Amino acid sequence: MVVVLLPGLLATEAGGQKRFELDAATLNEALRALPVADLVLDERGEVRPLVHVYVDGDRAHDLAAPLSPAARVRIVAAIAGGQTA
Amino acid sequence: MGVQLLVGTRKGLFTIRGDDERRSFEVQGPYLKGWTINHAVSDPRDGVLYACTNNWVYGGTVHRSDDDGATWERSENLGLPEESGLKLASTWHLEPGHTTEPGTLWLGGEPAVLFRSEDSGASWEVNEAVLEHETRARWEPGAGGLITHSITLDREDPKKLWIGISAAGVFRTEDGGATWKPANQGTEACFFPENRFPEVGQCVHKVLAHPGRAGRLWQQNHCGVYRSDDSGESWERLDLNGLPSGFGFALALDPSDPDTAFVIPEESAENRVTCDGRIGIYRTTDAGVSWRLIVAEEPAWAAVLREGMSFDDEAVYAGTQSGHVYALRDGEVVEAARHLPPILSVEAAPLQ
Repeated sequence: MVVVLLPGLLATEAGGQKRFELDAATLNEALRALPVADLVLDERGEVRPLVHVYVDGDRAHDLAAPLSPAARVRIVAAIAGGQTA
Repeated sequence: MGVQLLVGTRKGLFTIRGDDERRSFEVQGPYLKGWTINHAVSDPRDGVLYACTNNWVYGGTVHRSDDDGATWERSENLGLPEESGLKLASTWHLEPGHTTEPGTLWLGGEPAVLFRSEDSGASWEVNEAVLEHETRARWEPGAGGLITHSITLDREDPKKLWIGISAAGVFRTEDGGATWKPANQGTEACFFPENRFPEVGQCVHKVLAHPGRAGRLWQQNHCGVYRSDDSGESWERLDLNGLPSGFGFALALDPSDPDTAFVIPEESAENRVTCDGRIGIYRTTDAGVSWRLIVAEEPAWAAVLREGMSFDDEAVYAGTQSGHVYALRDGEVVEAARHLPPILSVEAAPLQ
């Protein structure tokens, strides 16, 4: 099973669940299966710019790339903040 | 009857319960931690709470609560069609629909978009007439972005409403949103070097239709305070009648008196602080012929933003960027909260 780990706010939005075990052949499948898919992906299905996704410790950019059955996916909120205007 | 204030801040949502006399207040929250609340409102038809929730990382969405904030549901599938070439950047204002249309909601956001829901926010449909408006190419973003921030309904006719977009101006529909007509005649675009009274391009900061007099609108603009008595066909400028500045954001009305309005002017577009170092709430009771100052607090420079003032039958409420909330009733000002995070919105609802 693919394991997906969520950061704090996404876990809150997922009903308090931080860890998901999913059947997913690709990273795209794994992200779309989450109850917070709309917060990770925008309306085009693209990963939001400040959401960073790591697969087995490496930053992943290709949503179509196949996942190993035991892949560990970690979603990270990029360091961001302050006020720009 | 007491009041429940919904206070949207940069760091979550707070509620404030006020007593019948508006003298005693109790703060609760924060709710929706981690979200910036551009606006929150209680639906007067059923008491459901809605919040325009935004986050640096996760974008803009809407949350609803039917148990007074204990639990929240998020609107999923909120976005713009691919053929528009646009993506939803943020959500700014949610307006419960007409009393004859239960479950209907209107939602304004960036970039200058309007949505309608007919199922209490479970799903949303973008308003294509706004998205593809023939004047859209002439719209320019204000400091807060290209945002649909004001949505105000005609009390009688569910097909008639107005929206305010910065900086595009006021638009009116009389067919439920199928078509939108610019409603900016007489309002100035003082930042343009030429043609300061264009069809569109005005920087409206807040527009409200009076709930008791058909066709009467009030507007706080980047370039003045205005009133319309013909549904926005034309506007009369009012800030030159005794206000220290025409610039400001906050606007409130008196439901029982269409000639009464409240504003909190700011020094200027270049220096966005309260005038004269005080949070000065100015009131007119003669439709803008004259204005009278009611000091809420001094010294104070933290201004009140476009959604930061609200009203009910009893009082006017204002929340500042310094996190203070004031209630103004019968000319007396009472502090309702202090040291909240910077306040983005205040809405008043009857305490259930």
